[in-house]
Amino acid sequence: MIQRKVSIILENKPGALVRVVGLFHQRGYNIESLHVDPVNDLTEYKYVEKNLNIKLKKGEVSHLIISTTVNDNLLRQILRQINKLIDVLIAEEVK
Amino acid sequence: MKLAGNDILIQSLINEDVEYIFGYPGGAALHIYDAIFKQNKMEHILVRHEQGATHAADGYARATGKPGVVLVTSGPGATNAITGIATAFMDSIPMVVISGQVAKHLIGTDAFQETDMIGISRPIVKHSFTVESAENIPEIVKQAFYIATSGRPGPVVIDVPKDTTAPDKLFEFNYPNKVNIRSYSPPIDPEKNQIERAVEAIISSEKPVIYAGGGAINSNASSELIKLNEILDFPVTNTLMGLGVYPATDPRFLGMLGMHGTYQANMAMHNADLIIAIGARFDDRITNTPKLFAPNAKIIHFDVDHSSVSKIIEANIAVFGQVKNSLNEIIKLCELKKEMINTKKISSWKNQIEEWKKSHGLNHDMYLENSDDSTIMPQAVVQHVYNITKGKAFVTSDVGQHQMFAAQYYHFDEPRKWINSGGLGTMGFGLPSAMGVKLAFPNDEVVCITGEGSIQMCIQELSTCTQYNLPIKIININNEALGMVKQWQDMNYGGRHSESTYQSSLPNFIELVESYGHVGIKIEKNSDLKSQLERAFSLKDKLVFVDVYVDPDEHVYPMLVAPNGSLKDMWLDKETKT
Repeated sequence: MIQRKVSIILENKPGALVRVVGLFHQRGYNIESLHVDPVNDLTEYKYVEKNLNIKLKKGEVSHLIISTTVNDNLLRQILRQINKLIDVLIAEEVK
Repeated sequence: MKLAGNDILIQSLINEDVEYIFGYPGGAALHIYDAIFKQNKMEHILVRHEQGATHAADGYARATGKPGVVLVTSGPGATNAITGIATAFMDSIPMVVISGQVAKHLIGTDAFQETDMIGISRPIVKHSFTVESAENIPEIVKQAFYIATSGRPGPVVIDVPKDTTAPDKLFEFNYPNKVNIRSYSPPIDPEKNQIERAVEAIISSEKPVIYAGGGAINSNASSELIKLNEILDFPVTNTLMGLGVYPATDPRFLGMLGMHGTYQANMAMHNADLIIAIGARFDDRITNTPKLFAPNAKIIHFDVDHSSVSKIIEANIAVFGQVKNSLNEIIKLCELKKEMINTKKISSWKNQIEEWKKSHGLNHDMYLENSDDSTIMPQAVVQHVYNITKGKAFVTSDVGQHQMFAAQYYHFDEPRKWINSGGLGTMGFGLPSAMGVKLAFPNDEVVCITGEGSIQMCIQELSTCTQYNLPIKIININNEALGMVKQWQDMNYGGRHSESTYQSSLPNFIELVESYGHVGIKIEKNSDLKSQLERAFSLKDKLVFVDVYVDPDEHVYPMLVAPNGSLKDMWLDKETKT
């Protein structure tokens, strides 16, 4: 198994981050590193707007990157679980 | 129209067509309770413990398909609701739970009856909200009901700090008629190519089984499932949560599968070359050891929840969407290609299943035994209840042996009639959930099949039944022990009954229920069983508690051999293993 990075765009509001972090523990996955920032420069996030057919405003969403060591099946399951969270716009693997 | 926060909350619920709200008042919820007092569109049901409120709302939701609504206060009110929220979460039941909270300026100060309800409930809710201001209440309520009922349903918590419901601050009230959550869009219609692939797999199958679960009930897809199988003519099994979604008296129905499933259902699953999973999630009570599960089967999985597919068992074909919509699509295509179904091969597959049923199927005639030379068998009690209610009753249950006997021997022909805690396995669920069902369907027979262990976990709700005149029939299958625990101890722990009996400490249930104003009937002899049960059901306007003393040594069979067994590995009785 190798370390994978998961990129998550989520609503920048109280309680959103802890739902993602809590899910890792709840489902028995380990977080090896975690970085989160509000998205103020939207230029690299056009894909979110395009995929969801929405318009983002500065600071409205956060970008969370989590590293975890899992196999392909588990990674797919993690991404599906995270994408199911109501406050998450997009979760995907960073290739 | 200008309203205060407490009235805004209640008006929002009324706008959602809420007819019953199950709850218990307390300090942080008192503004809200005052708003309830001032209206007459929605009835509040005062339970005796918040767990009862959540289960009652849950029973109401399961029976009607509409969301159950709960109101509790902060602190212990909120924590007492947790078991019921977790129960609804595990079984994907739509529920909205409103919890009072201390005023915003007190949050984080360890104030009286303060608890972090959002934090405590987070792993067992579909979503949760904290009200920041009364102005946000309508939008939050709208979103909460939408989230609770759409996609894969589930419970939603709204935590309401007391100051946001203060009666002296007025706000403009406009209830939104549309809801849009940009980060949430559950699948509705299936992809066409997945439907085509599914039909190809269907027409090339020789040993197919349809395996339908609670998701098919949540999607109200029972008539679509029946219609599909009029074309396919395949054997069908249901999960514990799915009972009733396919008529149990249909000759193609194999009974329940899994841990205590029928021999023919488990054997058919194990030997199938195609499993069509419809709103079922391959729970560990179904698969036994996943590596050994149905070794030769191709899997088609219909589900609304991406994360349920290929979680335990890899699906060859995944059909995402509302199960009802997906079935409608596949019906159209199957109709066109039905001539290509391999009826000849499938006919010999069905003969094989029929032989399995003949060799080790359940005995549905145990009710014929009426000699006092033998003790009452719990299975016979369920069979009598089935006969007397003509299979039409709503049946709630608690958890344990009686639950499995009810699932095995009451033949449900319609969805939403069998109400039980399948996922979480919550003892105490039966009586309060029956209250929710009875309120929703006052003219229907509502039976709670329980045991003397489970009933005592929420027995305080007998008082609620008195207050609201709920003539439920409670069948207490009394084996004077925690039967399922004892069965496992018999089978796996050398018969050492560690803490599974009560040392003659059981109450006199008859006197107990009579003190609440109900009727109690005690049955100890086989020869009384039928007539006394008939008497209980003839007392239409009374809650009747039937305390039936059954064989304390009886076990539930079949039972999957675990660990390391497959679906074909079953105990068939105390001595026989397949």
